[in-house]
Amino acid sequence: MSEKYGSLIPTGRLLDGKPRTILFDASKCIGCRQCVHACKDWHDHPRTSVYELSSTNWITMEPPVLEGLSPLWGRNSCMHCEFPMCAAVCPVEAITKYEEGPVVISQEICIGCEYCIYACPWGVITKNDLTHKAAKCTMCSDRVSEDKNPFCVQACPVGALDFGLAEAISAKARKGAEENGGYLYGDKEAGGTQLLYVLKEKKGDYGVRPVGLERYPQHKIPLGLMLKDLFTLRCGFAGKIRALYLAVIHPKRLIYRYWPWRGVA
Amino acid sequence: MTNASELFPQKRVTRLPGGYMGRILRVNLTTGSTKDENLPEEPLLRRFLGGQALATYILLGELPLQAKPYGTESKVVMMTGPITGTGFTPGGTKVTAVYLSPLTNYSLGRGASSGFWAVYLKAAGYDGIIIEGAAAKPTYLFINDGKAEFRDASRVWGKGARETEDLLKQEVGIKDAKVMCIGPAGEHLVHGAMLVNDYNNNAAHSGGAVFGSKKLKAIVVYGTARPRIHDRDKLIDAGQRWRKTLDVYSVDHRKSVGYARQLEALPNLNFRSTLIADHSRGFDQNRVVQRPCFQCARLCPWHVEIGEGPFRGKIGHFNGGAEWMDTFWNLGVKGNATLYLAERINDLGIECSHFAFGAGVMFEAWEKGLLGPEDTDGLRLEWGNVEVIDRLLDMAARREGKWGNLLAEGPVEVAQAIGGDAPKWIVHTKKGTPAMHDWRPHFGQMLRELVASGGMKPQGGGTANPPPDLKYREQWGPLDRDDPAGWPWSNVLAEQYRQFCGLTGGCWFAQMHLKPDGLNSIVDSLNATTGWNFTLDEGLVAGHRSVILQSIFGTQRGWIADHDWQNVGPRFLEPVPDGKYKGFTIAKWLPEMVYEYYRLSGRHEKSGRPFMDTLSRLGLEEFKEWAQRD
Ligand code: SF4
Ligand code: SF4
Ligand code: SF4
Repeated sequence: MSEKYGSLIPTGRLLDGKPRTILFDASKCIGCRQCVHACKDWHDHPRTSVYELSSTNWITMEPPVLEGLSPLWGRNSCMHCEFPMCAAVCPVEAITKYEEGPVVISQEICIGCEYCIYACPWGVITKNDLTHKAAKCTMCSDRVSEDKNPFCVQACPVGALDFGLAEAISAKARKGAEENGGYLYGDKEAGGTQLLYVLKEKKGDYGVRPVGLERYPQHKIPLGLMLKDLFTLRCGFAGKIRALYLAVIHPKRLIYRYWPWRGVA
Repeated sequence: MTNASELFPQKRVTRLPGGYMGRILRVNLTTGSTKDENLPEEPLLRRFLGGQALATYILLGELPLQAKPYGTESKVVMMTGPITGTGFTPGGTKVTAVYLSPLTNYSLGRGASSGFWAVYLKAAGYDGIIIEGAAAKPTYLFINDGKAEFRDASRVWGKGARETEDLLKQEVGIKDAKVMCIGPAGEHLVHGAMLVNDYNNNAAHSGGAVFGSKKLKAIVVYGTARPRIHDRDKLIDAGQRWRKTLDVYSVDHRKSVGYARQLEALPNLNFRSTLIADHSRGFDQNRVVQRPCFQCARLCPWHVEIGEGPFRGKIGHFNGGAEWMDTFWNLGVKGNATLYLAERINDLGIECSHFAFGAGVMFEAWEKGLLGPEDTDGLRLEWGNVEVIDRLLDMAARREGKWGNLLAEGPVEVAQAIGGDAPKWIVHTKKGTPAMHDWRPHFGQMLRELVASGGMKPQGGGTANPPPDLKYREQWGPLDRDDPAGWPWSNVLAEQYRQFCGLTGGCWFAQMHLKPDGLNSIVDSLNATTGWNFTLDEGLVAGHRSVILQSIFGTQRGWIADHDWQNVGPRFLEPVPDGKYKGFTIAKWLPEMVYEYYRLSGRHEKSGRPFMDTLSRLGLEEFKEWAQRD
């Protein structure tokens, strides 16, 4: 892993180190939102709105209309980027990219600085109003570490979601796209992700974002926010110390955080 | 009988089992008051679980014997079950409403519905609702995260179910809120009016009319709570096992005649032919989207966008069965006009068969010259006349004119008004109408329709072979469809396990007794949720208990078992007119089959009263005054 990441982000291993991918085949999806509720069920989240991402709702199915009423549906949740910008900007290294795929925010370490929220090209990180920490889909890393599939995947009643080793899923996705004259989304975006979509119509019709192909894409963390985090009580004293310490021992990791053209707006 | 203050303890002294929210909401529309009741103590919950049994038990304790279905003293009790809304089981979607049936005036009315509403009632913090009194003005109840309030419903009064749902969601400003409402039919006390929720789901059999009599247009629910689960890992495992048993509906099925194919009989021209022809013509061009209930993979509900013909572009929202299609096929309609009309009847909130059999008699009378244009204000009641049927739907839903009013009353009243031979052409059981399919070629289903509460969708429908999960105790081989032996017992059992499934809060359409593990996975789901240790046998006992409560409710108000085969529309007992099962009729075996059913379920064959030892076995001694005396 270290060759791939050049120690730009924290990495780790959950199980066997083999990368895995979630497949979303839009041609099969009926927009039932069973995946959305399943995610809540597994993570014991309250039944908060399924129409918007929140710290207790980690996927939405777009468009935000009643189940069944749209002809096309797109999944909106963490893409588990191969080069996760969220992890690259986290000053306290709360976000880890696991070899098996999951990009996970540690609730213990997160200081609520919101950098990742601004950095994520898909805008899928939200802040928990109570704990003030960042939250998002974990790819069910707890399940993956037990060699089980993510809970949303097992819930889908029509097989629009699938999960498996990256090569197998990629082959399946390619085949699916070929068969229905569609194309893949997520394989190259942001340098590649571990969510693969099979789409047919225009991206916008599924409510998915047109993200560029470069790794660690350009993002905008407001300068004001950074200054606030640095010079006010926000994020806590311990957080500031940890950020400072990590900046000293991992200076390379500052590159996507504070480099003017890559991060700071 | 326990009185209300004993039933709903001020403070619980026993554990609240997993799955329950712990509270029932009592609302009084006359006084505008709302009150939280604690759920009964654990031993009682274990006896009645939830759903129909718990709701009926509450109703039995609270509804005065002289109450009238539409009187202010009338009540509706709605209950979910412990697995409703847990999220880990496929069928944990059910809510059941019980009340005195305005169709029969003496039996239990029951409407049950799936979808999402029940899940969000629990998310709002309640296992059930007791509805009392009647409002002076159109009202809806809004339950938001543990807080209940009445609101003015004048803006949606008169509107169809779909629009009501949309408008009320907007009005409460919560997109995730779920609405159960009545259409114009309920407002006008059409006896067969339904409760409609989440677009695709209906609780039929008069609940809508009782809501209407209380000027209660809708109940809007929203909340974020989830029930505590006793053993989550075990529930996930049981739920996944349950899910594997499901018989998943395909999109193709929605482009066919549907259930008529399984029954090998499709109702034509007021039950005078069963032949399947080109009824589903044009369906292949429709866009069908499945829209499952909460976390259920059986995929019953579906949306359709009609793809051809004069109704091209029209949208419809339906559920699992095909009652709505059979309704209009029965009136001579074919093709996509059927789906158009089906959407209309659901939106107006009229139970299919209530309309189908009333209108069926009218159309037959026209054909036979008993009715002419001078009797119908010029409406030409020709088979398949879509425009006229469309008009009659509106008239029935709003009791407009003589015929609208009669259709709202029911097929018996329609036939009486026509006179002549018309009363011979009716299909009904104790004045209620059976679920809208032609059940006549089948012993199991016919018996179940006859012994149901009257116009209430019954829950038997015995099978030719014992369910695999019951093979350890039930021995019968394939039952013969021409020989009544064994069918009553099969029906007794089927009724028990279906009831049981409903009491847990599970949907009996997701209960697949014919598959191995189809019943055991439900028992295990219940146990994992609640922390109890039910066996399948105990589950059946619970189901039996529910059936007996239902019949005690009737006994108290003058029903006897003999009515089950005596008070039946003659057409329903005619031999199958044509097709594969031509000539078959259950009538040959009546009343013996009905008698045997009652004997086998521990009740007197003629009175239908439970024997004392049945009550003792089921722990229902408190109802001994309604037992059979000899
Ligand atoms: S999609 Fe956003 S949150 Fe998910 S890994 Fe990529 S950058 Fe991080
Ligand atoms: S992978 Fe897990 S955490 Fe992510 S959306 Fe699916 S269920 Fe939720
Ligand atoms: S569960 Fe499957 S079909 Fe339903 S919304 Fe999710 S991906 Fe689509």
